[in-house]
Amino acid sequence: MKKALTVVLVSLLLTSALFAAGTKEATGAGSKVLKVMLSEEPSSEDALLGTLKKWAAETGNTLDVMVIPYEDQLTKFPLMARNNDLPDLIATTRLARLYPDEFLDMAEYLDMSIFEPMAVEIIVQDYKTEKKSTVPQQFTITNVFYNKDAFARAGITAPTVEKPWSLEDLERNARLLQQKGGVKYGMAMDSSRARYDNLMYVNGGSMVEKEGDTFAVAINSPQNIAMLQKFVDWNNSFMPKAIWAGGTNDNPADYFKNGDVGIYFSGSWNYNAFYTQIKNFNWGVMPSPVGSVSGSAILGGSGLGVPTGAKNKDLAISFLKWFYTKENFQGYLNQDKGLSSLVGVTYSPDDPQVVEDYKIMQSEVAKVTYAFSTDESSMWRNFYDNEYRDAMREAVNGDISAHKALTDFATILSKKSGWRMKY
Amino acid sequence: MRTQYGKRHVRAFWFFVAPCLILFTTFFLVPLLLSIGLSFTNYDGWKTMDFIGLKNYRELFSDIKFYNALGRTFRYTLFSLPFKVIVPLLVAVLVTAKSVKAKGIVRTMIYTPSLLSALVVGITINWMFGAEYGLINYLIKLMGGVPLQWALNYKLATFVISFASNWASTGFYMVIFIGGINNISGEIYEAAAIDGSSNVQTFFRITIPMLAPTTFLVTLLSTVNLLKEYALVQGITQGGPGLNTTFIIQFIFDKGFNQMQHGYASAISLVVMIIFASIAFVQFKISNGGDR
Repeated sequence: MKKALTVVLVSLLLTSALFAAGTKEATGAGSKVLKVMLSEEPSSEDALLGTLKKWAAETGNTLDVMVIPYEDQLTKFPLMARNNDLPDLIATTRLARLYPDEFLDMAEYLDMSIFEPMAVEIIVQDYKTEKKSTVPQQFTITNVFYNKDAFARAGITAPTVEKPWSLEDLERNARLLQQKGGVKYGMAMDSSRARYDNLMYVNGGSMVEKEGDTFAVAINSPQNIAMLQKFVDWNNSFMPKAIWAGGTNDNPADYFKNGDVGIYFSGSWNYNAFYTQIKNFNWGVMPSPVGSVSGSAILGGSGLGVPTGAKNKDLAISFLKWFYTKENFQGYLNQDKGLSSLVGVTYSPDDPQVVEDYKIMQSEVAKVTYAFSTDESSMWRNFYDNEYRDAMREAVNGDISAHKALTDFATILSKKSGWRMKY
Repeated sequence: MRTQYGKRHVRAFWFFVAPCLILFTTFFLVPLLLSIGLSFTNYDGWKTMDFIGLKNYRELFSDIKFYNALGRTFRYTLFSLPFKVIVPLLVAVLVTAKSVKAKGIVRTMIYTPSLLSALVVGITINWMFGAEYGLINYLIKLMGGVPLQWALNYKLATFVISFASNWASTGFYMVIFIGGINNISGEIYEAAAIDGSSNVQTFFRITIPMLAPTTFLVTLLSTVNLLKEYALVQGITQGGPGLNTTFIIQFIFDKGFNQMQHGYASAISLVVMIIFASIAFVQFKISNGGDR
């Protein structure tokens, strides 16, 4: 009898501990829990997390932050939707593009005129309807960082907005940096399709071309093939080839932070991290190079969306209304140090060097090409995405020629999309 | 006519078999049947599921990337398999030798990597073999050598994955071999010693033949695990350089979870399952099921 009683008591204790661990206690009367999904583990300086905490403290609500890595979102989001276990608020770069029906139309809850139109277009990425499945949270642009000390050692003067480099200047100076700048690599670039595509756009190339109501596949145009071949040569000469050839998990941002890279093609989202972490050499932002046709920059970013199946939709919307006031968004922007997606709100740094860097990043916005907008509106990535990355990897690694890489990809994209091949 | 004893015997049989049968049905049979069904559809993992007949299979058998991934998987398996069998065998012989001290601690140390998840092993190995900041290249440079391009040379990249796989599994197979060695009667070794057999002769003429069933089991398990290699590759090379370490499971995962082609991925999985089962069948036949 005594034994049975002990067993029952222990079981009760364990069960109550299990329940206690599984529930979030509200901190006060009327307090609710806002479940937020992020796509990567936030650092202590993360601007969005800091803003969420500030909101929670002001309103007396509680946060439940979950992190679903970018790569896992495509599988986890449908599962969460099927199990009726969706978060209330999602910070995402692509879920709303892929599953627009699963998100509330933000235009019904927020005045969209407060946002920069370009930010809304780029981040919402719905070119078929007027629905706004997300609202811009972090608005980013590709940009180029450079190691000032390496430039000084190599005797190189950085380009200016008025006098940007050509691709030939870039190549010549990258080689010089490697020889005389005291860096291991003259240039590095994030292993991201978007980063490479700028090199395509500056020479007048594109993924597709608009033909009436449809598109033609143009990725294997002669200028694109020539540019990819040049990029392969750069990887064999002054770039860390393993980044683009695959075979490593290394992040070129770490190479730049360690002072091993002279010129680093990345984006504005890295600015805050570099500002807080790079202390052992001088660095800055330089204008991106121009090609035979124009300059190019790619806009992107992350949006905030409220799933239609969220349990606390109203709470999420109340957060968004709080977030997108000028005062609160300014606070977020000051911490994020990114581009503003809100009209009339800009990041005004105290540091004069940061002011200069931001002028250069802001000037990149004007370089966004019509070809990029056309490619985005075609939503080609809904057909194939990883295959393009794989084709680049094989070309850089020397497994196939640039011609074969782009032609093969053009063929499968044409077959899947039904678009004709222009070349 | 079944007696009471017979009926009780049958009931006892089902009682003991039931838990395993339920698990097997739930986690293997049911998913298998679902997968077969999905392979005839264009299921995207959520909202689209239309019957498309044999379209997935026709596409698969004309997909050059499928054959390339399968070929790479076979080459990787053939390269790694000997080490997966020989190294644990030698280690097991060593740790069961009478003259070896502290057997318990040694066995524990060798077994510990088997407890790590494959992804953790991959990330750890990646840290060791990183081209830029890896420990191995640092030591090579310290000794005046030229750092190796682990990530750019597909042979070196494959070697690193194979090394990681062997490091993580040696302990597990060592335990299996220890069991086999301990089951060999000591009298046989005594008789061999009396007949003047050297240690090497004893190892090749007695230990190895007597371990035939164990060796077969290790070979079979190793083959299957090598053919299914995934997490290690993701942690170390992510399928690169180029696509040179993109094996068949990466290919299936990419199709199913990155491109949301669950139906197509199911078709690939079924074909691959048949291929792998055929390989296991051939092994059974060649080794006579492990019989001595």
